[in-house]
Amino acid sequence: MSDTETRDTATHAVSSNRGRNGGQRQLNIRDEDICVEIDQLKLWYGDDQALKGIDLQIPRNRVTAFIGPSGCGKSTLLRCMNRMNDLIDNCRIEGAIRIDGQDIHDRSVDIPELRRRVGMVFQKPNPFPKSIYENVAYGLRLQGVKKRRILDEVVEKSLRQAALWDEVKDRLSENAFGLSGGQQQRLVIARAVAIEPEVLLLDEPASALDPLATLKIEELIFELKKHYTIAIVTHNMQQAARVSDYTAYLYLGELMEFNDTDTLFTNPSKKATEDYITGRHG
Amino acid sequence: MTDAASTDRTGSASTGPRSHMPSIEQRQRLRRWRAVKDWGGKGTIATFGIGVIATLVLMFVYLFSETAPIFGSAEMEAAGRYDAPGADGAATLHTAMERYREVAVRFTDDARAVFFHPATGEVISEEVLNRPEGVNVTDFATGEARSRLAGYGLDDGTAMFLRHDYDISYPGGERTIAPKITYPEGDGEPLDVFAEDGYSLDVIGVQRGRDGTAIIAANNEHEQLRVVLFEEDEDFLTGDVTVERKVYEMPWPEEGVEVTQILMDTTMRNLFVGGADGRLHFYDISNRRNPRLVASERAIEGEDAEVTSLDFLLGAVSIIAGGSDGSVSQWFLAQNDQGLRRLTKIRSFEPHNAPVTSIGPEHARKGFATAAADGSVQLHYATSHRTLARLNLGDDIEVDSVSMAPRQNGMLIVGEDGGFRYLNVRNPHPEISLSALTQKVWYEGRNNPAYVWQSSSATQEFEPKFSMVPLTVGTLKAAFYAMLFAAPLAILAAIYSAYFMAPRMRTVTKPTIEIMEALPTVILGFLAGLWAAPYFENNLPAIFSILLLTPISFIVAAWLWTRVIPEGVTGRVPAGWEGALLIPVVLAVGWFAVTMSPFLEVWFFGGDMRQWLTDQGINYDQRNALVVGMAMGFAVIPTIYSISEDAIFNVPKHLTQGALALGATPWQAMVSVVLLTASPGIFSAVMIGFGRAVGETMIVLMATGNSPVVNFNIFEGMRTLSANIAVEMPEAAVGGTHYRILFLAALVLFLMTFVLNTLAEVVRHRLRKKYSSL
Repeated sequence: MSDTETRDTATHAVSSNRGRNGGQRQLNIRDEDICVEIDQLKLWYGDDQALKGIDLQIPRNRVTAFIGPSGCGKSTLLRCMNRMNDLIDNCRIEGAIRIDGQDIHDRSVDIPELRRRVGMVFQKPNPFPKSIYENVAYGLRLQGVKKRRILDEVVEKSLRQAALWDEVKDRLSENAFGLSGGQQQRLVIARAVAIEPEVLLLDEPASALDPLATLKIEELIFELKKHYTIAIVTHNMQQAARVSDYTAYLYLGELMEFNDTDTLFTNPSKKATEDYITGRHG
Repeated sequence: MTDAASTDRTGSASTGPRSHMPSIEQRQRLRRWRAVKDWGGKGTIATFGIGVIATLVLMFVYLFSETAPIFGSAEMEAAGRYDAPGADGAATLHTAMERYREVAVRFTDDARAVFFHPATGEVISEEVLNRPEGVNVTDFATGEARSRLAGYGLDDGTAMFLRHDYDISYPGGERTIAPKITYPEGDGEPLDVFAEDGYSLDVIGVQRGRDGTAIIAANNEHEQLRVVLFEEDEDFLTGDVTVERKVYEMPWPEEGVEVTQILMDTTMRNLFVGGADGRLHFYDISNRRNPRLVASERAIEGEDAEVTSLDFLLGAVSIIAGGSDGSVSQWFLAQNDQGLRRLTKIRSFEPHNAPVTSIGPEHARKGFATAAADGSVQLHYATSHRTLARLNLGDDIEVDSVSMAPRQNGMLIVGEDGGFRYLNVRNPHPEISLSALTQKVWYEGRNNPAYVWQSSSATQEFEPKFSMVPLTVGTLKAAFYAMLFAAPLAILAAIYSAYFMAPRMRTVTKPTIEIMEALPTVILGFLAGLWAAPYFENNLPAIFSILLLTPISFIVAAWLWTRVIPEGVTGRVPAGWEGALLIPVVLAVGWFAVTMSPFLEVWFFGGDMRQWLTDQGINYDQRNALVVGMAMGFAVIPTIYSISEDAIFNVPKHLTQGALALGATPWQAMVSVVLLTASPGIFSAVMIGFGRAVGETMIVLMATGNSPVVNFNIFEGMRTLSANIAVEMPEAAVGGTHYRILFLAALVLFLMTFVLNTLAEVVRHRLRKKYSSL
């Protein structure tokens, strides 16, 4: 009971925040600074086509949510943006994804560097079997940072950004597995933001968490979008409505509808979208 | 029951109009049956689990019980006490027994030999020796214990030289022993030593050796030391033996020194004289016409110190010196730092509190009994440096003589009071002590203490050398070189196939490597010993260049593949199959190395690398640690590979992806996340591989040469605990010391593998607790 209450007030807080900003922005994709541009993206797993020509523009410093029923390709689409699909055998891609105007499939692109710029957080918290400190410092160490002072600074900053600092500051050297699921997920987010990515991909970041932890993650996303362009995949319609500025509805590998969140949820232009968000489908 | 009822209620309540569930009775029956199965399964598993542990414990107990007796001490129990047989007031100079302990002999100071039953003292027969009237016995001596030689010195300058012999016959299937006295030289008449000069024969020594029989005598008044040798010469055509009496004069040890003891060894090249000055004088008499007093060593410390007793141990190499201060020490000839042969004090035994009066060496081992003037008798063993038993006759009865039965199972002690004490001795394993097993021991005929394993030899005088160190070091050496070869290969292979290799290639590679495990090790050992060892010997440069060039060629090939060869070509090889391209590289390197080997030998090693190594002071055995390391490496690679491959492969994919998503290169992700997470598995793989290498038998048996050396030279062989057991167990007498020591070796091996595996398990659990992410 109390959980729900907290949640209600929190949601209220988020909406009121938005309300406060509401005056200065009537969201319109045409006014936005586009960060990621997806152009006729087609993807096959072996013979199965998972994405059937997606055209999409993800605006900078906004939260873009991908919704749709299971198997619609939203996670695949997300994973295309930092080329995590390269790890899958028999995966073939056509079309282009441009981040800041550069095609990420270009030969000159260094994949590790691309992945640094496009951070990703997975559905299941996946901290490394290291201390909390080392988990956050991991990305920096990969970049060759060795100075303890800089690491200390970044670890604190990132943990603060992930709203975890106060909870773990006294036990940074403890194993990350000692944290709760929600804390682990925020730790993973801290780990991702420590290397200053431009885009943050969140693949159902709260689906394995309890409502309270989910709430914290959602608040966190709201904070993070000031600095990062965020793409989030979610199964939770309310979550999409709460945290995102824009929403894309995918169905069977096709982009059915893309619009600012308010419009999409209140006035979907397609029947299929409306069916889905009102729970009549999927 | 209440449970069942409630289930039933909810069952009927929740099911709809038509239930497909079985009836209540059926479900109850099923529930009972399931409970029985659960209980049975639990019981079976527990039984077998406890059974495994019990088996292990039983094995341990069995090994231990077979081993334990070697650390036990000797037992002595009184078996008879009687007055001197054939008593007539004469003192006993010496006693001896024959091997069945049915007959003993007593030599008296009025020149009689009395044969009697050792258990009862009942006289069997008596022989009066041919002593001229009015001549007194001055000294008595015996040869090396097994020769049964004895000599009387007389005050008219003559000596009587005799032997106690036993004729054993079996009339009517029963053993009958007829004792008699025989004379090696002459017919029992006294033999001339100093008779011409009329000097008394004060001290006598007798020995039978290579060249014949010898009497060595000293006269203290005139400081005369003389060797009378009855040299035997056998005509090799007729077989007739001619005896020639030769007399050699020896220099007196030092003016004013009184000689108390004389010993000559069986080679008749070394003469040892004990003096009343507490010193041992060593003569080199290999050239008897020119005898040389080599050195005099102080054996007994203190003023008025005197060598009161001196005797050879079995084999006439070691001398036991008993002093007037009660000390007992072992001496033999060894080269000192300058390379000179000197009589050297090897070790001291627990002393008596009174002058040592008699030494009774064992006939078949390096053990001996000592007796002292205060009635104490001790049983020692030389090699193991142990004093196994002590006995006190009480009331400060001076012991005149102590002697051991030929099978060291009995002891005769004669007190000054004339009382005979006959004891049964049970002393089966005196050769072993913890220090003899684990520390350097100075063995007979060696120049310094050493770790030696040499359990048997052709001669009876042989001193068994049971040091566990060469075997343990050999075991660790073999395992170490095997691991040096196998661990890097197996772990790197595991990393590649679990992490980088294409899944389809992995399905071929992994079972292939794992099936190597099924290869009988006897085949590997056979190949290693009969093919690889000679091949390595002839192509040493090839072996080393392969070891060196293969990794380098891999790197060069990788560089060419990624940087030089155009993409059009590289693109044709699917990702994860690049590894297969290294097969021709390996073959090419192998071919190149073998082809170049003779040239390398000519250019750098003067045509023969083996000879070159020898010139550098490095021993080269054909069957060496290099061969064994590789052969046993092949045997343990599948174990290490399989376990670590599973560990690496089972690292959750989301961890790898997490690292990659943070901008890690695949290599970085592997090193910093995958290996870390898989480290418990890799560690236990290595330890299990090590345990296997330690216990491996056939390969080391066939490919090591089995020489028990103590070094880590890769070009020399070794003898491992396991191979040693396999080699020697068939020839060890059941229940003997050697047999029990092999059990000890098994116990050491068992403990080694047990400790290794336990350690591995403990560390693995700790690591897993730290790094588990599941």
